[in-house]
Amino acid sequence: MSTAADASAHDAHHNLMVDNKKLFMWLFLGSDCMFFGTLISTHLIYRKLYPEEYDPTHLFSLELTSFSTFILLMSSFLMALAVSAMHKGELKSFRRNVCGVIFFGLIFLGCQVYEFTEFVHEGLTLQSGTFGSTFFLLTGTHGVHVAIGVIWLLCMLFYTQNGKVDAHESAVDAEVAGLYWHFVDIVWIIIFTVIYLIEFIGKTGGAH
Amino acid sequence: MKDSPLDIPLPSIDKSGENKKYHAFVNLALILAAVTGIELVLVYLPFSIAFVYSVLIALSLFKFIAVIAWFMHLIYDKLILTLAFGTGMAIATGTYTALLFLLGSDRVAPVEIPGIVPM
Amino acid sequence: MSSTITETHTQHTGADSALKPERSQLGLLRPDHSKSVWISWLTTVDHKKIGVMYGAMALFFLLVGGFEALVIRTQLAIPENDLISAERYNQLFTMHGTTMIFLAVMPLNAAFFNFLVPLQIGARDVAFPRINSFSLWAFVAGALVINFGWLLEALEMFGLFNASGPTAGMNDFVPAMGWFGYAPITGKEFTGAGTDFWIMGLQILGIASLTAAMNFVVTIINMRAPGMKMMRMPVFTWMTLVVSLLIIFAFPAITVALGQLMFDRLFDTSFFATAGGGQPILWQHLFWIFGHPEVYILVLPAMGIVSEVLPAFSRKPLFGYAIVVFSGAVIGFLGFAVWSHHMFTTGLGKVATAAFSLLTMAIAVPTGVKIFNWIGTLWGGRVRFAPPMIFSLGFVWMFMMGGFSGIMHSSAPADAQQQDSYFVIAHFHYVAIGGIFLAVVSGIYFWLPKITGKMWKGNLSTYVAILSTVGLNITFFPMHFLGLLGMPRRTHTYLAGFGWETYNLVCTIGAYILATGIFLLVVDMIRCLRSGEPAGDDPWDARTLEWSTTSPPQVYNFARTPVIHARDAHWEDKYGPESRHTTYEADDGHGIHMPSNSWMPLIASVGFIPLGLGLSLMQAGVPFMGYMAIFGLITIFSAVALWAIEGPGGYHLHPKEATA
Repeated sequence: MSTAADASAHDAHHNLMVDNKKLFMWLFLGSDCMFFGTLISTHLIYRKLYPEEYDPTHLFSLELTSFSTFILLMSSFLMALAVSAMHKGELKSFRRNVCGVIFFGLIFLGCQVYEFTEFVHEGLTLQSGTFGSTFFLLTGTHGVHVAIGVIWLLCMLFYTQNGKVDAHESAVDAEVAGLYWHFVDIVWIIIFTVIYLIEFIGKTGGAH
Repeated sequence: MKDSPLDIPLPSIDKSGENKKYHAFVNLALILAAVTGIELVLVYLPFSIAFVYSVLIALSLFKFIAVIAWFMHLIYDKLILTLAFGTGMAIATGTYTALLFLLGSDRVAPVEIPGIVPM
Repeated sequence: MSSTITETHTQHTGADSALKPERSQLGLLRPDHSKSVWISWLTTVDHKKIGVMYGAMALFFLLVGGFEALVIRTQLAIPENDLISAERYNQLFTMHGTTMIFLAVMPLNAAFFNFLVPLQIGARDVAFPRINSFSLWAFVAGALVINFGWLLEALEMFGLFNASGPTAGMNDFVPAMGWFGYAPITGKEFTGAGTDFWIMGLQILGIASLTAAMNFVVTIINMRAPGMKMMRMPVFTWMTLVVSLLIIFAFPAITVALGQLMFDRLFDTSFFATAGGGQPILWQHLFWIFGHPEVYILVLPAMGIVSEVLPAFSRKPLFGYAIVVFSGAVIGFLGFAVWSHHMFTTGLGKVATAAFSLLTMAIAVPTGVKIFNWIGTLWGGRVRFAPPMIFSLGFVWMFMMGGFSGIMHSSAPADAQQQDSYFVIAHFHYVAIGGIFLAVVSGIYFWLPKITGKMWKGNLSTYVAILSTVGLNITFFPMHFLGLLGMPRRTHTYLAGFGWETYNLVCTIGAYILATGIFLLVVDMIRCLRSGEPAGDDPWDARTLEWSTTSPPQVYNFARTPVIHARDAHWEDKYGPESRHTTYEADDGHGIHMPSNSWMPLIASVGFIPLGLGLSLMQAGVPFMGYMAIFGLITIFSAVALWAIEGPGGYHLHPKEATA
């Protein structure tokens, strides 16, 4: 278990050969599972208790949501490329890909802002019963996560602008930022299915 | 605190590995896009509700795991990271599945609440 | 979050006095090597100083919470007492619970984690020293926010402040709805700004605990000295690992629940508000999904302390080390699966009630295993009744009594009778005072010589032990009978004639005996600090690695990195065969790398105060408080950004022992 550490003459030992920051991030993501788990289950519980309270199918636009899901998935793809580029030490490629991720992230946030204003316009607000409360808190919290990710990546662009970075540390930093971004993406994968898609089953002119 | 990065092996610095990953990433991105399309179409298709439900859940789980495994490098990484995340995931899944069953509508939704149509 | 050091600054000077602070990547002078005591403590990233500060704060709040308890007991001494109003009584029991759990026991545990874990695993510091400093100051900020209501309450008494705005006319500025804040009493219609202080304070404390917990898991997994395999770690470090994982996975539930409650109060949503269809029962579930693991977050470190003290004073290795560790982990894991046993009387349904009842009974198994192992450690050992040992033995006995009434609760039909009665109070105070408090005092007696370098004087500890153990039994044993006689908890006063008078009077007398014991403990600590003789490195002839450092430990902990060859490393050094002695890595001439002090964690945490107070005072109708909250948020974000830019820095020390 500690073979590498025995060879180490420094005060950081890394017994399991995992970077500190990476382990910290994965623990945070484990914690965040519980966080979004609570939010999603609150929504589902109230949908189960009051299935007739609100029919969101006339409000949700599956085309728009699928588009933003697609955008987020592609941003995840670019993020994976960016991290890979940083591992190879290709700073230019990293910065190009990160710009793409930020661009896609902003499109996603734009879609969400548009969706929210549309819903409020149609009469679904935070105050309109349990559906409004849980829906806006869940998707809003996810949106805040995306926004924090965008700010984080903007900071990374700022740090790397002069082209002088420590090869190993920046690879780890990029990877940690990437982990966060992918996690935000997988949370949306779940939200897309259990909040949006499932509402439409049996209500779209198909089988009843 | 690290004072020198030298004592930590770089996480797969060799370029051939990264190039192999590149192909995996491209393939995965295509698959994810296709699956999202399938999910969207599936909702409109005339299959039985139970079938659509199960397939949708399965597909979203597939996407979830695929992103974790490849984009987040979990299959290339140390087991301890899988344990750290997996524990949180397992506890969250278990707890909230139980909670969904616990909060049955027959027990917690009194008929008297105004404005709410009981099941 | 912390970025990298691209160049290392090595200073080949021997003496510390020649060290000069360097400029950070922001161009500002780092607060290293400061002559000012204030600057060096406020900006410290040293786990030992942070641990000491956690301990000092926690002991202060322990006294505050204890004082609140004494007022409660005095009010209940005789029937129909009118010492304090019913409203004040509600505030006192709410703040007593909240203070003891979040401001006394959790930070006391954090104090032990901080001071001991890096020493026990042979590390230089924790994995993220600046995040560690952030956790400490965020805890202080949360404590201030949660207690701010007392100030408003005083202002209100002099007619200087009145609530307006959303909670107009509700002048309860101190939380008064019980430490678990059940909906719907936390709704805006029923409670005033006190609930908002409670929400914001707990939210901030949660952030502090989460960052600290992740830091400790990374430290324990990654920073162990060479040869310190997982199964060679001291049990206290193991329990720290389990507790940190519990915090990581349990706190998000309360974070979300508090956020939803905040939305209910600020934006009229209907998560728990019945008017819009919200279900108050959901709060109970979310609270206890956090709350039950929280119980183990409080008690597992106590078990860790006892698992260190008992072997040291029995001169025997811990009986069944692997089983003790495994039981601790099982208790932690099962802790997530039993939350509904706090809610048997809410009507969960037969299947759920039976399942949670069984799972709760199952927890008795690993707990019992631990108790058998502790007794097995004593068996055949050469037991010395030194002060730490007396308290640890008290723990085993008293904790068992709390455990027995706990098993009684696990049976749902019995629980239905005991729910919300004084029987429950008796149960969890046996666990909290007989268990956690005695173990923590044992830890204080055990490790304070290591922390301060001074030895205890005289035998005052015997009186502390007698008074606190006798006091707690006189206070809480009669409460079992009070509960069975039907006295409900959280009653401001009661009528004569139910047969409760004598028991209540006895309880109150016991509380004062217990308080005398705690007072003597404080006296003893002050005596030790003021005039204790030098303790020496290993005053107790103890077993684990921290005792091989100097007392108090040097700022760099170990001059050379230890290489561990056995469990109970320090014991093996003294009595084991040569092959199991700790060896030390050769000095490589680079010196010991030390992290730089920083203002940023402190500033980021201080930002929580305007954020929390702003959002709460907004509810009480104070003008411009929204701007204050935004100011707090900006402070936090900019301090974190500057924190990332300034870089961790660092300097090198060249202690003489390293080359010796």
